[in-house]
Amino acid sequence: MKIYKTLLSIQKRVRKHINSNFQKVVFRYFFYTLIFSSILIVLFPFILPLSFYESSVITLSISLSTAISVLIVTNFIKPSQPFPLLLSVIFSSGAGSALGAFGLISFSDHPVFNNHIVFFQLVFGGILFGLIITYVLVFQTVIDDTMEERLKRLTSEKKVLESNLKLLQAQIEPHFLFNTLSNILSLLDIDLSKAKGMMEDFIHYLRTSLSRSRKDTGTIGQEIEMIQAFLNLFKVRMEDRLHFTIDVPDQIRNLPFPPMLLQPLVENSLKHGLEPKINGGNISISAEKIENILRFTVIDTGLGLNFAQNPGVGLSNIRERLQSLYGEQGRLILKENQPSGVEAIIEVPYERD
Amino acid sequence: MKEISCIIADDEMPLRRYLKEQLTELWPALTICGEAKNGKEALNLIEKNQPEIAFLDINMPGLSGIEVAKKVVGICRVVFITAYDQYAIEAFENGAIDYILKPVSKKRLKKTVKRLKEQINTAHVPESGVVKTLEEMLVSMNIKGSSEYLQWIKAQVGNEIQLVQVEDIYYFKADDKYTIVRTKDRETLIKKSIRTLIEELDPNQFWQIHRGTIVKADKIDRVSRSLTGKLVVKLKDIDDEPLFVSRPYAHLFKQT
Repeated sequence: MKIYKTLLSIQKRVRKHINSNFQKVVFRYFFYTLIFSSILIVLFPFILPLSFYESSVITLSISLSTAISVLIVTNFIKPSQPFPLLLSVIFSSGAGSALGAFGLISFSDHPVFNNHIVFFQLVFGGILFGLIITYVLVFQTVIDDTMEERLKRLTSEKKVLESNLKLLQAQIEPHFLFNTLSNILSLLDIDLSKAKGMMEDFIHYLRTSLSRSRKDTGTIGQEIEMIQAFLNLFKVRMEDRLHFTIDVPDQIRNLPFPPMLLQPLVENSLKHGLEPKINGGNISISAEKIENILRFTVIDTGLGLNFAQNPGVGLSNIRERLQSLYGEQGRLILKENQPSGVEAIIEVPYERD
Repeated sequence: MKEISCIIADDEMPLRRYLKEQLTELWPALTICGEAKNGKEALNLIEKNQPEIAFLDINMPGLSGIEVAKKVVGICRVVFITAYDQYAIEAFENGAIDYILKPVSKKRLKKTVKRLKEQINTAHVPESGVVKTLEEMLVSMNIKGSSEYLQWIKAQVGNEIQLVQVEDIYYFKADDKYTIVRTKDRETLIKKSIRTLIEELDPNQFWQIHRGTIVKADKIDRVSRSLTGKLVVKLKDIDDEPLFVSRPYAHLFKQT
């Protein structure tokens, strides 16, 4: 088992340096050839009157000449159908081992080579060898190719979907847009000052979200202001069904922070948690510094997570961005809030200005 | 002349009030007998007052406007007032159910009022296609929001229960009485068995490769054969021990 694992790790390490497909095939071929040969080298002295040295010379010369000729022939002819492949392997391994056997017999004085039948035994052995190695190789390649194709399809479909969704997310959600505008319109006759306030919050929100989705940097204060405007808008629409608190100390507000990491959490809480709940609920947003970690918490008392609910790209997006910005140190944790609702926590390393 | 009454349902007060004022102006003979903040209240009002017309917002907490409409299809006429224009509203262009998009324009409301006045004079017979269209709308709304498969896993991490998105899971592996859930940065344990999980997870995304292993298909890096001939799955990004595919599941990786 240990030997197997060591071999696997060697294979893995060397494999990392190999890029092209052909190199992969060659490498694999020789790898299996060497393994197979080593086994034979060890076995032969028990069957035939040979020393380990003689066994290695014979095995290696036959197997290597076989391997080389099979590789050359199959890569120049490149047969894809099984029958032509079989023929070319037999032909090339026969030719290769014949060459190897011929060389052995000519240059060796060993008594085992005095018999002419030995030549055919060696050629036969070589052909068998070539067939086995090719079979193993083909099998593995077939599995790899099928899997690769399937996975490529899966990942490319997924990538298209994701990029489309990311585009969508970058735009303002139409439902939110039209609902807010209708509310402002309705308020113009009923309560003009409220309508004005809502209009201002809406403009502020639009301006910040449109510009911030394009930028990479901002401050926590800017994000909180945007969230505040966002919540103000919903407060007018939901009245008593929404209560919220924002608890972010000034020293934290000045810190730099990538935009649109917190806002989606608040949006989720509203959209999935509070809006659909008949009596609404509460959202609290807070930030604190704990040693060298900056922690943001968004807690709502809404409906909580529905276990069949599609989370949408929002949360995956946040996770991916945290990963690429902070690596292992950026975390998004989701918990159930008691008695109902969701607690979302973002933790990032605390960076001084 | 018979008195015609209606109810208005919308979870947002400014919109309810605005519609009420516009209706009072455009159709003074219309009695507004009640306002509802959510679907349940709307149903109660309709049952109590038996109005001829119900103006319903679609997106309301509790029961949605569509579910309310389904229940009152024989009792009164429905007009949807909604910001949702992406849910097959075309289905209602020629139908017995009218809709108005928010924000409500006076011109549009005038047209609706005219139509309603004409319809009120004829006896109210619910069209057979209406209920079906409503159901289709409900289905398409639900599809957009949810899936029939598990999307979240509750996992115990230390003292607390965290929610793991199914999207982030690499594999599930049975371990004694529990199941290991592997995400990129950690391993957690849950009580759900592999057998239950395989019934609840989307089979297109999650493949069972072994009696005790379920793998997320798009996290697979490669599949190879070990020297002993077994199929072995290697995952992207993480460096765990490779997962073995047992024979009954090997067909997943065969060339079709």
